[in-house]
Amino acid sequence: MVMVREWRTIFSRKVYIVAMVILPIFFLLFFLSLMRDGLPQDLPTAVVDMDQSSTSRRLVRQLDAFKQTRVVVHAKDFSEARKLMQKGTVYGIYYVPEGFEQELLSFKQPRVSFYTNNAFIVAGSMLFRDMKTISILGSAAVGRELRLAKGQTMEQAMIELQPIVVDTHPLGNPQLNYAVYLCNVLLPGLLSVMIVLLTVYAFGVEVKTMRSRKLLDAVDDDIISVLVGKLLPYTLTFMLMATLYDVVLYRYMGFPCNNGLPNMLLNSYLLVLASQALGVFLYSLVPIMSISLSLSAFITMLSFSISGFTFPVGEMPSLLQTWANVFPLRHYFLLYANNGLNGYPCYYVWSSYIAMLIYLFLPILLSRRLRNVYRTDTYKP
Amino acid sequence: MKIIHMFWKQVKEGLADIFVVWRDEFSLVIHDAAILMLFLAAPLLYPVVYSLIYSHEVAREAKMVVVDQCNSPETREFRRMCDATPDIEVVGLCANMQEAQEALRRREAFGILVFPRDFSKALAHKEHAYVQLYSDMSSLLYYKCFLLNVTEVSLKMNKDIQVRDMSNATEREAEVSTTPIEYEDVAFFNPKSGFASFLIPGFLMLLIQQTLIIGICALAGSIYDKKMYHVLEPILRHRRGSFRIIFGKALCYMMFYGIMCAYLLWVIPWMFNLPRMGDPWNIVAFMLPYLAACIFFGMSISVFIKEKETAYVLIVASSLVFLFISGLSWPAASVPWYWKALSYFFPSTFGLQGFVKINTMGATIPDLRTECIGLIVQICVYFLLATLVYRYRVKKECA
Repeated sequence: MVMVREWRTIFSRKVYIVAMVILPIFFLLFFLSLMRDGLPQDLPTAVVDMDQSSTSRRLVRQLDAFKQTRVVVHAKDFSEARKLMQKGTVYGIYYVPEGFEQELLSFKQPRVSFYTNNAFIVAGSMLFRDMKTISILGSAAVGRELRLAKGQTMEQAMIELQPIVVDTHPLGNPQLNYAVYLCNVLLPGLLSVMIVLLTVYAFGVEVKTMRSRKLLDAVDDDIISVLVGKLLPYTLTFMLMATLYDVVLYRYMGFPCNNGLPNMLLNSYLLVLASQALGVFLYSLVPIMSISLSLSAFITMLSFSISGFTFPVGEMPSLLQTWANVFPLRHYFLLYANNGLNGYPCYYVWSSYIAMLIYLFLPILLSRRLRNVYRTDTYKP
Repeated sequence: MKIIHMFWKQVKEGLADIFVVWRDEFSLVIHDAAILMLFLAAPLLYPVVYSLIYSHEVAREAKMVVVDQCNSPETREFRRMCDATPDIEVVGLCANMQEAQEALRRREAFGILVFPRDFSKALAHKEHAYVQLYSDMSSLLYYKCFLLNVTEVSLKMNKDIQVRDMSNATEREAEVSTTPIEYEDVAFFNPKSGFASFLIPGFLMLLIQQTLIIGICALAGSIYDKKMYHVLEPILRHRRGSFRIIFGKALCYMMFYGIMCAYLLWVIPWMFNLPRMGDPWNIVAFMLPYLAACIFFGMSISVFIKEKETAYVLIVASSLVFLFISGLSWPAASVPWYWKALSYFFPSTFGLQGFVKINTMGATIPDLRTECIGLIVQICVYFLLATLVYRYRVKKECA
């Protein structure tokens, strides 16, 4: 009965459909198309080649051949390149000094320099990697030529140059795909923001429109049936959205999902329920709708940073490390990393499952308070 | 003479109208706890929490376990050199791969370094000796620590081995032969490559825009909800009345954010030791158009908000879209053209880029042509849109 009434409310206003369906789909399309390449490609770089020799030109060509680096400017001196960096046209500068080839041939160890703009850290660190690699490769190429000239075979030369080889295995995300790294937590996180805010709104709007007392009367003061009846339509719709997210991420995009789709669906559904519970809890705690909405906004937006999927929780001040456990998205991230990315058995994250279940009890804790709010039925703007 | 008199009367009337609108809006704001939370509490507290989260700037001592099946002087030296780097901490020696993987599953370590049994034998026989590096990818920062430092250690060891094998060469010859080309790297503007230095300046600009537009939309929504737009009707009937309404309201928001900006852009960077390369007057000169653009943008989109509370529901989550579209988190050069085109509609795009350039890179206003032109165009467009929006709402209510 309460549920039918809620469905009717949902279809009577555009805001519900926008918040439940249109915005989540927009977020999905936005982030997946933004990171469609997986890694930023062709980052603009300036080269200052003061030498203009065949060796320096070869070095520059090789740098340009990297997928993520694109030499867009050949600057005539360093200050010109620096100005371009300051304007934001390029994120990196590769500098080859005058007399480079000459010094190289006469064993004087010439020095190349490279500069990255770390005000934009993602672009900066990617160019850093490419420019460092090319510098080392440049050295190796010279060493190889020398050794070949001495009559060594190619293989001998390579072994002598690099006796120890590091083989890197990035587990679960071998392409270092940024979309995998960010979207798998970012998107469920955004869904969770919408859920918390809309839950607070849905509960607050009863008091605002002065329908809450009538609602309580209709169910004989049984606040639990109000809770269940009001929440269920949103639970179903958001679970549908979560399913859409998971299917798109793990089936269509093929992101790592090593324990299978059902496991990730379970995690997503838990996040949906936990977010709803958090919303009810916040509204019951501060039954002034606009203030609990402000609070929800602060908490949910904070959860993106504090969940630690970009900057690890272990590197935060210890007080915040403890508080991180309060945020549902933190637990979702741990569940995803364990089950989706790495494919480890569920019992390694049992504590996060427990945490997700604890959220579900929060609304019950404050249900009497919510009943009193609904009974008094006064809207404070 | 008469014209001057008329003009003077106009100006006086205009100022009086602006004052009335400003006073009413101000009283609305200070009597509304939710709006005060947005305009005062959020800018005061939120940056502190965020700066604390990122206060360590970089990941240090990423935890790693080692499986050493060779256990020779070379592998021990490799291990020791890894542990000695500031970015890696070897937390344990595992007997086999299963034990090491278990440490990863328990999140007690995030990387594994494996030396095969024949590591030293390969070195002695002049064959490639492989060392395997496994990294958990739930944190890209730890992966970077492992990759950069293990590579660095291997380069160092390779060099030592080459020098050792050239026993008949002088030290200088060996040095030149192993590294024919030297290189140096310089990280501009954020030498520590720190997360706070990178993210917080942009975050502050985003916070300003988001709290402003949510606040403005919430205020506009609540006036609409309470059917209070009609009180503006007399002013609207004056000459350029809608301009006066917009100016009066904008002045009120501007006042709050003038003070908040001093705190956000001066006190916060100082408290958390963030980059402060910008000249204060350049910052002021940039912030005025940014605030104006945000305010008029907020007023324009308030047409979609019919109720105070929906402002939160519909706008809050967009923050991340604004962040990623602005070219800070995701390089602007890699944003697809259609999203880039969309990004020019948002003040935050120019605001983030401009402020990061002034504050972090020491740019001055003349360096920021694109950003300034963008903001000025936005101010003009959104100002006119805002007048239309408010005129429409007043007229609609009075009709």
